[in-house]
Amino acid sequence: MEQPAFDAVAAKQAIFEYCKKRGALAVGIANLADCERIAPPGHRPSDLFPRVKSVISLGVGGQTQGAWALPSKAMAYSGSTEVRGYKVAYGLAFHIEQKFGAPSVYVPPDLDPEGGPRVPLQSLKLHAELAGIGARSLAGDILLHAEFGFLYYASVFTELELPPDAPMAENPCPAPSCVSMYRQIGRTPCMKFCPAQCLSGEIDDQGRQKMMRYDMAACAELTQEYEAVPKMLAEAVADEVRTQGAQGLLDPDRKMLWYKVSAGSGAWFAQCFECMRVCPIATRAPQADPILRREQKKTG
Amino acid sequence: MARGLSREQLGITDALLATFGETVFRMSHNLQVREADPVRTLDWAEIERQREAMGLADGQIAARLGLTRGQVMFIRNFEESRRFRVGQQAYLLDLGGGKRYRPERVVRLEDRARYSEDALRLRGVFRFDAELARHYCEKGWWADDTVSGWLARHASKRPDAPAVIFSDQVITWKELEARVLRFAEGLRGAGVAAGEVVAVQLPNVPEFIVAFLAICRLGAVMTTLHMPYRGTEIQALLRHSRARVAICLAQAKDWSPPETFLTCLKTVVALGPRVDGCLAFNDLESGPPLSRDHAEPVAADPFLLLYTSGTTSAPKGVPHNYHTMLSNARLGVPEHRLGADDRILSAAPFSHLFGLYALHCAWACGASNVLLPAFTPPDLAATIEKHKPTALWTAPAHIAAVRAMGLLEKHDWSSLRLTIMSGSACPPQLVREFSGKLKACAVTQLWGMTETQGALYTRPGDPLETHCTSAGRPSPGTEVRVAEDGELQVRGCLLFPGFYDNDEANASAFTQDGWYRTGDLAAVDAGGNIAITGRVKDIINRGGVKFNPRDIEDLLDAHPKVLQSAIVPMPDAVLGEKACAFVTLRNPKQALTLEDLIDYLSDKDIARNKLPEKLVVVAEMPFTPTRKIIKGRLKIP
Repeated sequence: MEQPAFDAVAAKQAIFEYCKKRGALAVGIANLADCERIAPPGHRPSDLFPRVKSVISLGVGGQTQGAWALPSKAMAYSGSTEVRGYKVAYGLAFHIEQKFGAPSVYVPPDLDPEGGPRVPLQSLKLHAELAGIGARSLAGDILLHAEFGFLYYASVFTELELPPDAPMAENPCPAPSCVSMYRQIGRTPCMKFCPAQCLSGEIDDQGRQKMMRYDMAACAELTQEYEAVPKMLAEAVADEVRTQGAQGLLDPDRKMLWYKVSAGSGAWFAQCFECMRVCPIATRAPQADPILRREQKKTG
Repeated sequence: MARGLSREQLGITDALLATFGETVFRMSHNLQVREADPVRTLDWAEIERQREAMGLADGQIAARLGLTRGQVMFIRNFEESRRFRVGQQAYLLDLGGGKRYRPERVVRLEDRARYSEDALRLRGVFRFDAELARHYCEKGWWADDTVSGWLARHASKRPDAPAVIFSDQVITWKELEARVLRFAEGLRGAGVAAGEVVAVQLPNVPEFIVAFLAICRLGAVMTTLHMPYRGTEIQALLRHSRARVAICLAQAKDWSPPETFLTCLKTVVALGPRVDGCLAFNDLESGPPLSRDHAEPVAADPFLLLYTSGTTSAPKGVPHNYHTMLSNARLGVPEHRLGADDRILSAAPFSHLFGLYALHCAWACGASNVLLPAFTPPDLAATIEKHKPTALWTAPAHIAAVRAMGLLEKHDWSSLRLTIMSGSACPPQLVREFSGKLKACAVTQLWGMTETQGALYTRPGDPLETHCTSAGRPSPGTEVRVAEDGELQVRGCLLFPGFYDNDEANASAFTQDGWYRTGDLAAVDAGGNIAITGRVKDIINRGGVKFNPRDIEDLLDAHPKVLQSAIVPMPDAVLGEKACAFVTLRNPKQALTLEDLIDYLSDKDIARNKLPEKLVVVAEMPFTPTRKIIKGRLKIP
């Protein structure tokens, strides 16, 4: 019996439906060639999955309206919903293999074990940006979506060849209110309210991003506690900071870290979210609020 | 490290780190700059041009610098780790619920060491028996009381109710809180931080209250200096307390307080006309208020450092935290039957524990304080008639002086429902007389010390004889016992932790099992009421027979010619000690002889060995601020 011809458009449609049914708000296919060209060697899709033909990116909803009102430290711990995105992507990889017979892989969102802190295996952000489901913001290149605001992204590499999408035609950042604020005080809300003052930038006469500066090291100091562990050990060994040397590792303000080590807490990657808390796109995009989304869905 | 290779295997040297550290850090993703939006628009020329500015991967940096990828990774991680400041997340703790970051709100990590060495030294005194502390908390005796918390509560719930009544001025709780927050901000600007000691020498004026509450709001500690103190005492106490700032009057009748304080301190706040080198109280009070985000004190924080005696040679500093002091006031309020509608007038100075007890009781229940800047019998009587306080904190000597001037009859005292007499032994006859004049007023007695605040008191509703002859029963949360030698010993939730910086005093102040030796002699009656019968130190040892002169003093006080009396031991070559009576006269023109006294006492059926063997008539007695006779200053001619 003759095999039916592979319909890439229909397959893409089926994949999108699968993802959306399971909670993804946005799905897109990144142009593989562009990914390969932009990502640095060692972090290209083909470095992870040599026979990759398509890069599928999906985004799940970020925080609720209520979450944005939490105190910063609680936001850091209330954490992210990215695990939902990972679950969808993990299921999608199996789904593609079962339905289309094409080997696929859920792209691990982890750090590159050879790169040390802050270096991911793959840039999920790049995949999403090229897939057209997010655009770089003035807030340290955090991707934003005009409709859904702040999203968490996950990716699937597959040997199934799917037609790619284009990046977003417009960048929602900066929002008009941010432009207005920038005109008055020279800073957007994310720049103003960053606790580490790690953001700065410029907006051009047309209200578009002209320059984005991001002091990632300062941001990491505030948000990525996992780096504190080797630092503390180094200090204790070298006795640079505290006179009590290794005993300092056991003082009360450090014990929490050891607790986290033993509990395997994901809070080490806690984001402070201050830039997103004050971002009108992240918090007030038309469908950023899950309750609102549900209501809109109901009313049709 | 990378690929399991050691630093040596990677060829990393200090020289390599020093050479490339900064460059690697900057070329990597640590400092990113992006112009426009080249990736989204797929502007390949710009993507290539901006690659380095947007951050290079280790392999790309390696290619540019002529290093291996492993070396770059090592150098980058080394640099990032070296620069990484631990504990940055603590900044987020400064932000309250739903509030956004503001740089001015953030206390940098290095500034978080809020307590100076001096402050920690004082905090170090606060060591309590762990088992007892747990017990006090479980019983609810130790709670979350702070004066700042009480002030905020009253300002919120009864903003327009009177908090302070002074002369023709009524200050509401809301107004008081506003003044306190402004003055607190002024003090903060003047360098007062949590745990620091601020000395206050002010009379009972609203500014004392504002200063006290502001000091507390900052988490600092107030030490009071009695108004009669001058240079020697002030300098000694400032030295011992390690005070950083003083608040005093800008001018006094016969001396200059600011001048004295400025000899010891850089920062002096003067109340009144401007003084060179001093901050003006009014200026500090007219600025912006303290941020409500400013860390509030908690009940375990020290807030008072009071001095009992020995001001120049061996100061006995009594530190209290909110637990010990405010629990006593809160638990005492229902015992004294006080409520939010009461008006409390203290004839005792606020620089003294008894005066502070009046404030604490008022603040515990939201009552108002009627202020009398300094005691004189006419001023006390006039203030009571004018402002109609319902409760009076007073010393027996105050009432004795009022009685002597006939002011009880000349003025209206009928507003009083409660009088608490304390500060010295109270002659039964005085209580009887005062109670007789004020039929609707419970005239009670309270015994306390700076170390304990109100430890014993009689309660409204007790029989008159109980008020006349005893100091009542222990306050809630207080335990007392009378030792074999008759000394009253105390412990409980109200007890101070020990003298500040005075090991010698501490060594003898407590029993082995943690009870405080009060130095007072006491006797307990069948109803559990405790009468203070004298001081251990006052015991006279006449030829090996010891006796307490207190009962003789009580008899002398009832003598028609005697205003007040005090009996002290007089050295004797044969017997060791004999009794010497000092008296002041009701009418100085009427003579009084030793023989008169002996005849009078002999009629009272007194053992002959207790009779005074010398009489000294003095114009006035040396008093403590609460009008207690300082026997040590009575010099036998």
